[in-house]
Amino acid sequence: MAERIGGADAVIDLKPGSSIPISYHPSFGPHDDLLLLEADDNLVSDIFNQRVTLRGLPDEDAVLCTKSKTFAIKFVGNSNSMFLIPPSSSDDDTNINNRQLVSVLKISPGNMELVEVSPRLDKLKQLLLANPFGAAEVDAMMDDNDDDNNEKKGVKLYTWSDLVNTVQASDEELSVGLQSLSAVEIDGYWRVIDENYLDVILRMLLHNCVLNYWSFDDLDEDEVVSALVADEFPSKLASHCLRVFASRVNSNGTGKWKLEPRLVCLHFARLVLRDEKMRLESFMEEWKKKIPDGMEGRFEMLEGEVLTETIGIETRVYTFSVRSLPSTPAERFSILFKHRSKWEWKDLEPYLRDLHVPRLSMEGLLLKYTRRAQPKADAPPVFSAR
Amino acid sequence: MEIRVKCRCGEDECSEWAIVELQGVVETQASFEGSIQNLEIGRLCHTESSQETYTFTVGYHELIGSKVILKKPLLVLKKLQLDDEVSGKTTELEVVGIIRTKILFKTRPKPLISGTN
Repeated sequence: MAERIGGADAVIDLKPGSSIPISYHPSFGPHDDLLLLEADDNLVSDIFNQRVTLRGLPDEDAVLCTKSKTFAIKFVGNSNSMFLIPPSSSDDDTNINNRQLVSVLKISPGNMELVEVSPRLDKLKQLLLANPFGAAEVDAMMDDNDDDNNEKKGVKLYTWSDLVNTVQASDEELSVGLQSLSAVEIDGYWRVIDENYLDVILRMLLHNCVLNYWSFDDLDEDEVVSALVADEFPSKLASHCLRVFASRVNSNGTGKWKLEPRLVCLHFARLVLRDEKMRLESFMEEWKKKIPDGMEGRFEMLEGEVLTETIGIETRVYTFSVRSLPSTPAERFSILFKHRSKWEWKDLEPYLRDLHVPRLSMEGLLLKYTRRAQPKADAPPVFSAR
Repeated sequence: MEIRVKCRCGEDECSEWAIVELQGVVETQASFEGSIQNLEIGRLCHTESSQETYTFTVGYHELIGSKVILKKPLLVLKKLQLDDEVSGKTTELEVVGIIRTKILFKTRPKPLISGTN
């Protein structure tokens, strides 16, 4: 008579009025390689469809990623004794006189729980901004004799696979992160384009618009790329320029684009300001000179990108971009309040708009990280550090 | 580093494990220390009554509990450390089972004295 060891089903199906002995399994032991993971039904489904991975570097706490979300893994201890009973296994399934044994393989100390977290995209920013793609590399690219220029210089570049292995984010979140950095894949490596070089391409594009009487609202991708290639720009970067400064007209792939005035004007504003603080009037003058004919630059376009400070009768403006701030709330608020101790909502909101924290609404974020004061009933509320 | 969580079976075929959970610790008599494999711990009984109660008798203690359907199932994962000629030391995680129910004993043990039951 064969013995069926394990017996989880015997426990689950135990009928009223029946009883069954429970023993230690022949292989009872610590079995540290067996772990329990609490998973809701969605995650269970993702796991069974091979869509779940653990990501992180050896010195980091691993995160669990589905296709679109990132979770921190917490071990929750249990002071109760959890007897883990495996399913039945038998050497002889055909023997119907099998004696059912219920056996405990291990006493589990607890289980792992998942907590949804924001993807760790600050590292992505850091990695890609270390080596922006600029004019020097374009020259090297065009020069056939100079292959693997970057490898020679010992510069670290990242393929999609490198990023997946280094950045703790799901595939979808990583893609969104790359998009928000206006990154582009060149020769298999994901790169951000150096702002000065992007300026050169944009100005050539605008120059061609004037030369060819192209409308800003109806640019043909093929025409734009041909013109820029004729001016010795790589076609990939010509297309990328459209993706950075324009949006598609109709999604059915007609290849038509319209330039976004806000993005073009913002680009020139940043160029005018650089690292300086300018008098507002001077800035507006210089800015208008750079904006192409046919576009209007309005100061509101620059919210979340510039700040003003008024000292006496003079107002100065300077670059302060939300894109240069950390993406985690604690660090974001810390930098914002270090920069300026008190903020009105209208100035603060553009610098918080992109924060997405699981389980926390904007109100929740403000409650958690700020102190709200309203000096007078008719004055706007002011936020400061908690 | 990326470790894929693998499973060889689909959700429906995944083998179901069980948990019997009790407060406190089951201690083994000193004479058995080190070789408790195959030793009987106690007896689990599904009582014949209108309530869904279970009893677990360990030595001369009786525990009373019930079957709990877990709101979030527990997956049983096995961690494998492999040594590959090509990729060196790698870790793999495989789903070997799923737990949807447990028998939970929350009460203090009731001592059974012969003659009183």
